[in-house]
Amino acid sequence: MEIGAATRYEQHQLVVGREQAQALFADPALAAVRVHVAAPGDPTRIIAPLDVVEPRSKGPGGGVFPGWMAPVNRPRGGDTHVLRGAAVLAAGYLPRNQEGLIDMSGPAAERSPFGRTNNVVIEFDRADGASWQEAEVALRRGLLRLAVHLADAAVDAPPDVVEELAAPHRPGMSTGGLPRVGAITNLQTQGAFKDVFVYGRSMAGSLPTLFDPVEIEDGAVVSGQYGHPALRNPTYIHQNNPVVAELRARDGQDLCFAGVVLCPEPVEQADKELVSTHAAWLCRAAGFDAAIVTKEGAGNADNDLMLKVDALEADGLTAVALYAELSGADGTGPPLVAGPRRGAVVSTGNYDQRVKLPAVERALGGTRLNIADAEATAAVDVPTAAILGALSPLGAGWLTCRSEQQQLAGQKLGGAA
Amino acid sequence: MRIVHYVNQFYAGLGGEAEAGIGPRALEGTVGPGRLLSQLLGDEHEIVVTLVCGDDYAASNTAVAEELVGMAREAGAELLVAGPAFGSGRYGLVCARLVAAAEAAGLPALASMHPDNPGISDAGGAPVVAAGASSRQMRPTLQTVAAAIAKLATGANLTVADGRVARAARVGQLVDQRAAARAVELVLRRLAGDRESTEVPVGGFDVVTPSAPVDKLASATVALVTEGALVPAGNPDRLESARATRWLRYPIEGMDSLASGKWESVDGGFATTAANADPNRIVPLDTVRRLERDGVIGRLHNELLVTVGNGTQVASARRFGVEWAAELRKAGVQAAILTAT
Repeated sequence: MEIGAATRYEQHQLVVGREQAQALFADPALAAVRVHVAAPGDPTRIIAPLDVVEPRSKGPGGGVFPGWMAPVNRPRGGDTHVLRGAAVLAAGYLPRNQEGLIDMSGPAAERSPFGRTNNVVIEFDRADGASWQEAEVALRRGLLRLAVHLADAAVDAPPDVVEELAAPHRPGMSTGGLPRVGAITNLQTQGAFKDVFVYGRSMAGSLPTLFDPVEIEDGAVVSGQYGHPALRNPTYIHQNNPVVAELRARDGQDLCFAGVVLCPEPVEQADKELVSTHAAWLCRAAGFDAAIVTKEGAGNADNDLMLKVDALEADGLTAVALYAELSGADGTGPPLVAGPRRGAVVSTGNYDQRVKLPAVERALGGTRLNIADAEATAAVDVPTAAILGALSPLGAGWLTCRSEQQQLAGQKLGGAA
Repeated sequence: MRIVHYVNQFYAGLGGEAEAGIGPRALEGTVGPGRLLSQLLGDEHEIVVTLVCGDDYAASNTAVAEELVGMAREAGAELLVAGPAFGSGRYGLVCARLVAAAEAAGLPALASMHPDNPGISDAGGAPVVAAGASSRQMRPTLQTVAAAIAKLATGANLTVADGRVARAARVGQLVDQRAAARAVELVLRRLAGDRESTEVPVGGFDVVTPSAPVDKLASATVALVTEGALVPAGNPDRLESARATRWLRYPIEGMDSLASGKWESVDGGFATTAANADPNRIVPLDTVRRLERDGVIGRLHNELLVTVGNGTQVASARRFGVEWAAELRKAGVQAAILTAT
């Protein structure tokens, strides 16, 4: 990937047209944007990353990002062109963005899904007189436009891989004795800078809904959520919903993929109970035997997970939740803030565990890393919590935690084998 | 060995909560549980002095640990034994700090408390042996403590077999399978009948039993405490916006409300715009002052205690709770309003 005069795609090389990209961010709320690229292995740090989007297109007729760049009542399905391995993201100060980072090399790159993608990074200046909310909306629209623009460049190129995505298994269809397993995807809904959009609308105040996973792949879920960096689900992760992908990978062999339920994460306890109860009912009505439940955020969001797992298990379904642990820098504290009474939990890593990052040569998105009180390029010691997507609540990351005893037991088993 | 034993005011027989504010003192020989411990130890080891301090005094003053270690040294201690504190938060915190301070000063030390005691993480690397949840398990607990002392006297280290509470660290690591794939594996194992498998143990959460309602609110002293990170504008003491390691105190004496522009929330976990426009909605000083004027409550405590709940680990939060309880009790506060965000 490189920056050039005009956007084009040839033989796995993407050239990003600088002025074409900048023009897609034209908005009264933005004074200027700067376009950079950062590739895996680069000694580059991206400070204060905002949303990340995967370039996708449905061709000249459009159709991706319904509710933003396409009407919702368009034909569904058909081919989607994906620039696999590329991502577009914005980086820079936004008042409600909890500061995080992406390193393109070293230990942080190993921990973040976005240390492994070729990234187009947009730096920006807010226009005088524009509000931060207006700037944020302008950035979100710009990122979606840029993602489509880049994927459009490759629409005529022969695909390297063709994936056919089977529709979810419907209730009443024969399963051949396989269990029907679905996904419950909680979306954060806490207002400005803490919201996730479904068809361009906040899900706050909604009841859980059964959702077409193909629509999620085509960008029906877009993030405007800037909380805990490691515990975010950027748009890219929704487009590639890891739980849905892993369920599909086992579909027809070990299980039947039963579908996706989207849920808001309300802030009031009574609403959390309502949403959890309704989600459990919906899974039962949709014929799920089991569900994998995920969240976005921490603390507050942990309660949403806990209540859903308990509600599902009380209704006789099997539930597994994905949690990040908060057991302190040395890992000896209690791992969960709130956890289910039943069910089982997969660990996505420890929020508090420190990671030493070597100095880098180039920083994008800012000149200082405030959480470390250091120059942006300096060698720093940060909690895992600061690395974008490292504790991915949707299961996109590779971290887990094991207690010392478990490790000893594992070593013994390994030795015997 | 010459042993110095630490107990709180209650186990020393000096009084209950009313005496929790008393300062450190040394008593000759054995006191309270030290008598049974002494019997179990036999003739080889002698409890020469018992140190005592009130729970509120000791838990709200971190310097007390070093002072008590100094007193143990003066008494010629070869080993400092603290507790058993069972499940008591303040007592456990003080025992843990005491053995940590002793070890740091080169004095061997041993504490005993329930493994879930909120103070336990403050023991650092000093050994802690498990106690029962309450003093009903006094005898078996002291048997464990006595056996641990006998073993320490031989120069050996304590292990889990001696009742030592293992601080089993959960170690983060990168694995080949991403979390979503492991979740599918786990759900399939559970569906196949394995109901035990989990990467993180589930359950085991505390249920807090609410205290009885305040008896005479019109004569009670009430405190305002918050985890909403409300601090003076500019955050002069640099409270963290997430993952708090400490709490702060700010005087509110003579103030009728929290003025916009003079206070701000630095919490990184919620949208603070509305809170900063009217800080009284995070800490309801305006309303509580009115209740004070109207005689609904007796008096408002003159300090606001503040931390941030956002991303703060459970062990730290439990310790803050123990320290706040000691602090407020010492100040004669009967009730606290804890506002959360």
